[in-house]
Amino acid sequence: MIAIEGLQKRFGDVQAVRSVHLRATDGTVTGLLGPNGAGKTTTLRMLSGLMRPDAGSIVVDGADVVADPVGAQRVMGQLPDSRGLYPRLTAREHIEYFAGLHGLDRATTRDRTTRLLARLGLEGLADRRVAGFSQGERTKVALARALVHAPRNVILDEPTNGLDVMSTRAVREVIRGLRDEGCCVVFSSHIMQEVSALCDRIVVIASGTVVAEGTADDLRAKAGRDNLEDAFVSLVGLDAEASA
Amino acid sequence: MRALRLLAVVARKELTDGLRDRRSLVTLIFSVVLTPVLLGVLLTTTAGSQRGAEALTLPVVGREHAPDLVRWLGQQTGVTVVAGPADPEKAVLDRTEDLVLIIEPDFTERMRRAQTAEVTLVSESSRERARPKIARVRALIGGYAGQLGSLRLIARGVAPAIASPIRLQEVEVSSSQARLAALLSFLPLLLVIAGLVGGTQIAIDSTAGERERGSLEPLLLNPVPRWIIAAGKWLAASALACTAVVFSMVITVTVLRRIPWHDLGIRFRVSDAELFSLLLLLLPLAALLTAVVLFASTFARSFKEAQGYMGMLMLVPMLPGMLATVYPLSRRPWLAPVPILGQYALASDVLGGQPPGATGFLVAGAVALACALGLVALTARALSREAVVFGR
Repeated sequence: MIAIEGLQKRFGDVQAVRSVHLRATDGTVTGLLGPNGAGKTTTLRMLSGLMRPDAGSIVVDGADVVADPVGAQRVMGQLPDSRGLYPRLTAREHIEYFAGLHGLDRATTRDRTTRLLARLGLEGLADRRVAGFSQGERTKVALARALVHAPRNVILDEPTNGLDVMSTRAVREVIRGLRDEGCCVVFSSHIMQEVSALCDRIVVIASGTVVAEGTADDLRAKAGRDNLEDAFVSLVGLDAEASA
Repeated sequence: MRALRLLAVVARKELTDGLRDRRSLVTLIFSVVLTPVLLGVLLTTTAGSQRGAEALTLPVVGREHAPDLVRWLGQQTGVTVVAGPADPEKAVLDRTEDLVLIIEPDFTERMRRAQTAEVTLVSESSRERARPKIARVRALIGGYAGQLGSLRLIARGVAPAIASPIRLQEVEVSSSQARLAALLSFLPLLLVIAGLVGGTQIAIDSTAGERERGSLEPLLLNPVPRWIIAAGKWLAASALACTAVVFSMVITVTVLRRIPWHDLGIRFRVSDAELFSLLLLLLPLAALLTAVVLFASTFARSFKEAQGYMGMLMLVPMLPGMLATVYPLSRRPWLAPVPILGQYALASDVLGGQPPGATGFLVAGAVALACALGLVALTARALSREAVVFGR
């Protein structure tokens, strides 16, 4: 359960996040949809506890992210914007490292690592160094290590960015699986199909402000369009720009 | 307890990662071998030149004219008299000989009449190699002449003291230990550089490298306090730095034991235990310098940028080390609490055969480690800065 209220963040002259509020409940997938530069990544960085908001509050399963980032990080699993791996470590070692950082014991670590590798179809690559991995394989490793502590809240920043069809499908499967297990999943994307295919709820963000939220149907109704993409363009005000 | 476990997790990962890096292994091996090789070469060449001056092969023209002198010369330690070349001046100019002694045909005749006999020394004093030999021959001839002069005076009932109103007595104050210390004053500096080189690769890779790869942000998303992450990286890098120092030390001591100290005119009295006591000084120093590198590299966006800082950071141990070889820091125990300088000062006492008390070691080590921990804390703070975490 994630609750964000009145979030603001400014970088110099740029007000990256003006007013973001968001409520993501357990057992649902919440999509953060917005064009490039809308403030999605900045919002997720503040949610992750690594960036201090200028104003606003973020509460994850009762833990205040601003006051107690470490406590909140315990109940979150995150695939951030930068998902660098260690080229000289194997896929398994990546997952085990993060398990160790979460203080998991040996047996649990081994068990979860094996299951995650299987779930993401990485068994064949488990003990190879990641230096030669494809983009899709890298993302899967980054996702696996983010999930090793079985977090109740999963935050994914553009998880399918740069992935081929098969990898995208695998990641979507994982997201659906997490929802079915009762996790609260938040993911950001600028890709319409992605959001409409996966999300139970959509939060549309533009210029650092939440402009609409609800199910896909809600959004279509609100914008008065049948097509979600048209609705999106209308909601973020791009059509006004285009016709102006 | 939990903190210690997390610390071990971070340190173990960095060590595994670092030891798989071929670049870091190569620099580690290089740093370990550097010191003994440099020191061995330095000391054996010194020993060689010393030995060269002592062993004197003296070409003499006209040996038959002064059999007594030639016999006396031959009895002096290290001196071998050989037949001189036909053209002494040409031989010296051609560099086939460094010097040639010529005895005039009337030598014995003049001796018998108690006149001054002449011998000629042909040499070229601008030749570096020849200079100690020329001095040696001068001293030998002077000594022989002095003996004969005294005998002549005694034969005439005159006390030899009358003819020598002043006698110069030379007292060499510098003990052989001090001379050895001068030669060995490079040792601490070389070992510290070994440590610095050995630990740098992993220190840079786990900070600037982490930023460059984009793996810092995911790492910091784990519920681990920043100081544990910084300290774990420091421990891993320091472990490699200390390994480099220890191995370098072991090889160096082995080399030192094989050096012909006798030829250097030095009794090498520093025991192995005393040599290894240097480790108590140098290991905390290596850990401190590693912390300096770790802290500086945290601000670098890439491996390359961090390597650029290394040139400057190298000066941190180099300058005081250089100072210590030029301006002797020995017998200054009050320097102990000054990081880096203190270690060099105490090390030069150990090598000079006057090992300082345990207090000095403890103070120097404690101060170095305290400074290192301070830098680790600063590194941890840097890791909380948004510009560091997200700045790529």
